[in-house]
Amino acid sequence: MKLFRRTRRRVPPYGPESPDPELLAAVAAGESGALEILHRRHAPWLRARLRYRCSDPDQLDAALQETFLAVWRNAGSFTPRPGDTDAGAWLWTIAIRQLISQLRKRANRWIADSAPEPYETIGDASAEDMVLLNIEHGPLGAALHSLSPELRAAIQATVLDGLTVREAAQILQIPEGTVKTRVMRAKARLREALT
Amino acid sequence: MTWHLTPAQVHAYASHAVDDVTAMSVEAHLMHCAPCRTLVPADQEWIDRSWADLRDVVDRPRPHPVERLLRALGLRDGTVKLLAATPRLYRAWLVSTVFVLVCALFAAHALPKGSLVFFLTAPVVPLAGVALAYGRGVDPAHTLTSITPMAGQRLLFLRTCAVLVPAVALCTLAALMMPSPTTPWTAVFWLLPSLTLVAGSLVLCRWVHLSLASGAVGLLWLVSLAVLGSADHTTPLSVVAPHTQPWWATALAALTGMLLLRLRVRTT
Repeated sequence: MKLFRRTRRRVPPYGPESPDPELLAAVAAGESGALEILHRRHAPWLRARLRYRCSDPDQLDAALQETFLAVWRNAGSFTPRPGDTDAGAWLWTIAIRQLISQLRKRANRWIADSAPEPYETIGDASAEDMVLLNIEHGPLGAALHSLSPELRAAIQATVLDGLTVREAAQILQIPEGTVKTRVMRAKARLREALT
Repeated sequence: MTWHLTPAQVHAYASHAVDDVTAMSVEAHLMHCAPCRTLVPADQEWIDRSWADLRDVVDRPRPHPVERLLRALGLRDGTVKLLAATPRLYRAWLVSTVFVLVCALFAAHALPKGSLVFFLTAPVVPLAGVALAYGRGVDPAHTLTSITPMAGQRLLFLRTCAVLVPAVALCTLAALMMPSPTTPWTAVFWLLPSLTLVAGSLVLCRWVHLSLASGAVGLLWLVSLAVLGSADHTTPLSVVAPHTQPWWATALAALTGMLLLRLRVRTT
């Protein structure tokens, strides 16, 4: 039925060297070629990073698949910060959320799916981030080494991965209250070690 | 960024050979450093496979808004496609329907006995749509669809519904805008005659082409109205007067019964 002719948006020019925001604009205009470039550019490191959170390669690949499908559908919602030519943080947000929903699907199918939260770039350059960027070179490295693995995992999920307490509880498979207390204890330890 | 990872560090990270704290550090750095990300070793074969899977989904044609609406109403995929592919349900047909109805409305408002025009046209408009919905010559894909298992009666009825729904909706809208003070009940006086005409043409199309059947039925309607109009003590309006509605309902029920009976005979 030709009731409405599909309005063809003008596709911005793009190439293999284009920065992420331009590629995402092209993806939003329906260019699968731009998505392929993004996939080539970002899939390897996203996969390497997700592998630290999930050891099942099937679930990993499924999560990555869903990630890029979500990019395909939501590319228009990406709003770059002025001067930022990189969508890495935004992609990671989507990837970790997709991994959580994959794990949840497998683990307990009876939990009703809650509506997914909108994708916003997390890992904004916060104070914690600035410290984390220099883990190797600052005293934080030694302090983190001294934490127990459980506390470290809690810090990693909430601070580094930028997850909410609820999401962290899902990926670590512990109750939300435990996440909270572990984060509090870890932060207290770190404060002690760093002062 | 004041420092960068060495390729050895990135390789160790990618092969899962570093401790947690180093991994956290590498991750925090990778998140903000695009050049270092390119150092992450890429398994070309895996990337190609993954992209091939992805392309399967991405390259699927996006469903039309109407298709999505029908699907949301709970129809099956095949039915949705067939409905959406109904010929003559194009913009041109809808625009002309609207145009005819607007003209009829204009006549009803401007001319002294203009509402007659509307009474004449309203039942015929859905019929015209049905006439062009199915069959050789009006459906560009008829040769293709006629060899599918869906072809025949089933497709004919589907298409008829696809045309009837918008046409009837438009006519109702127009009827509500008529000048004479009408309640919603008297505004749909034309509905039963119209459906009866459509059912009549569907019954007829067993023997002749659908367009021909619809044309014949429509002509019959117009001629009978003209005859009634030229007679002395009757007006064309008596055909759709409230007391005739039961007759129309009876005729519609009879014709629908015939159609259903034929369908039953065909399918068993």
